[in-house]
Amino acid sequence: MKIEKRKPLFVFISVIRALFLREFEMRLTQGKSGFIWTFLEPFLQVFIFVYMRVVIKEHTGAVSLYNYAVFMTSGFVFFNIFRRVLRSSMGAFSANRGLFNYKQVKPIDTIISRVLVEVFLISCVAVIFLLIGFFTGVDNLIPKDILMVFLSIVWFIIFSFSIGLLMGVGNFFYMSIGKFMNVLSFILLIFSAVFFSLSSIPPPAQEILLYNPLVHFMEMVHGFYINELDDRYVDYIYMLYWTVMPLFMGLWLYVRLEKRIISQ
Amino acid sequence: MIKLDRVTKYFNTKNGRKYLLKDVSIEIPDGNIGILGRNGAGKSTLMRMLGGIEFPNSGKIISEHSFSWPLGLGGGFVGNMSGRANVKFVCNLYGKNKKETLDIIKFVKEFSELGDYFEMPIKTYSSGMKGRLGFGLSLAFDFDYMIIDETLSVGDAKFRKKAKDALRKKIESCNVILVSHDMKTLEEMCHTGLLVHNGELKFFDDIKDGIEVYKEINK
Repeated sequence: MKIEKRKPLFVFISVIRALFLREFEMRLTQGKSGFIWTFLEPFLQVFIFVYMRVVIKEHTGAVSLYNYAVFMTSGFVFFNIFRRVLRSSMGAFSANRGLFNYKQVKPIDTIISRVLVEVFLISCVAVIFLLIGFFTGVDNLIPKDILMVFLSIVWFIIFSFSIGLLMGVGNFFYMSIGKFMNVLSFILLIFSAVFFSLSSIPPPAQEILLYNPLVHFMEMVHGFYINELDDRYVDYIYMLYWTVMPLFMGLWLYVRLEKRIISQ
Repeated sequence: MIKLDRVTKYFNTKNGRKYLLKDVSIEIPDGNIGILGRNGAGKSTLMRMLGGIEFPNSGKIISEHSFSWPLGLGGGFVGNMSGRANVKFVCNLYGKNKKETLDIIKFVKEFSELGDYFEMPIKTYSSGMKGRLGFGLSLAFDFDYMIIDETLSVGDAKFRKKAKDALRKKIESCNVILVSHDMKTLEEMCHTGLLVHNGELKFFDDIKDGIEVYKEINK
């Protein structure tokens, strides 16, 4: 079992794999019912919220053009990618500090593997919802344009990763960034067109909300998912700015500070 | 050979910079190296730099060899996972396949003599038990250099003897860099010595000379 010189890519892959399995096993073995809660927690978060909104909507007697339950669920599951990726990347460095003892573990690996864990969990939740929808016979369950929905998800994951990396590096040196982002992500939940479509609010408000890149992402996925909606408000270039700039800023900061993160 | 090229390492303290290494250039020939120095002289930092998890403020450390992770007192384990899961994790890190992993797990379990504790979370371990697990784990891999920071002094007398015997066998096939305040151990395991003192590194072909100088400093 000689330690051979391995190719960097191979080292990277085995590190990510090891961290992913570790992260996942840690959650599964947490407490007595860790296995159930790992999947149930993100599911319930979405379910309770969506259910409440749908009931309220029905009671107020508002009629919408599209299936509101599908709209809400798809939107909130999608938004949860951002929320969960951001939250777990911000804690990644300090939670895994002991692992930097092994020199092949770079701090960014811990973020990447956490992103993968979150994406995997959210995918499971999405599948659970689709199954529930399928067996209870919900209308308009199938996306209008499945491929574009997938593409939107991939883009959104990259976007969430860039913000997560930037905030993760920042949070490691200034704790208040993490606290601030926790509050902000709750506010963003309300103002990110998760629970309403942009076409249903007055134009002056639309204009303000469209400064929020998350609104564009939500409108994009809703536009490709729901039959009656489209992506007319989405500015793809604006989204691209918001993906590329944080990504490069995050990477630049990370490269500069990597050594300090490892040896702190 | 390990080559240090104009290596400077300092820490910022309230009273200005404290230099552990100041513009040190040295070539250290291969062999079992004992590191000497007073508390806080920078022995552990030097080991961490060799292990690639601490970095000099300027200069370079050049070596073709593979180094183990610095074997200290139970660092690098995840508290709420079992000993077995932690061993598995390290095997995954080094890209071992399933069979190799199982072999390593079996070896570590036997060597560390943890018994049922092997399946319990690490946070229930005493520091001696952590040291035993870490030491057993590092024996399962074949590095060119094992970096050992005082681990030989963990555990009870019986385990210490076992660890020393295992290490003696191990250093037939690999080299070791050892930090210890136990001069007997150093003399026994290492041939050459390296003294860290006042920001300088001094190399000794014979560890005994190093120990003499070290005792002189400590007076």
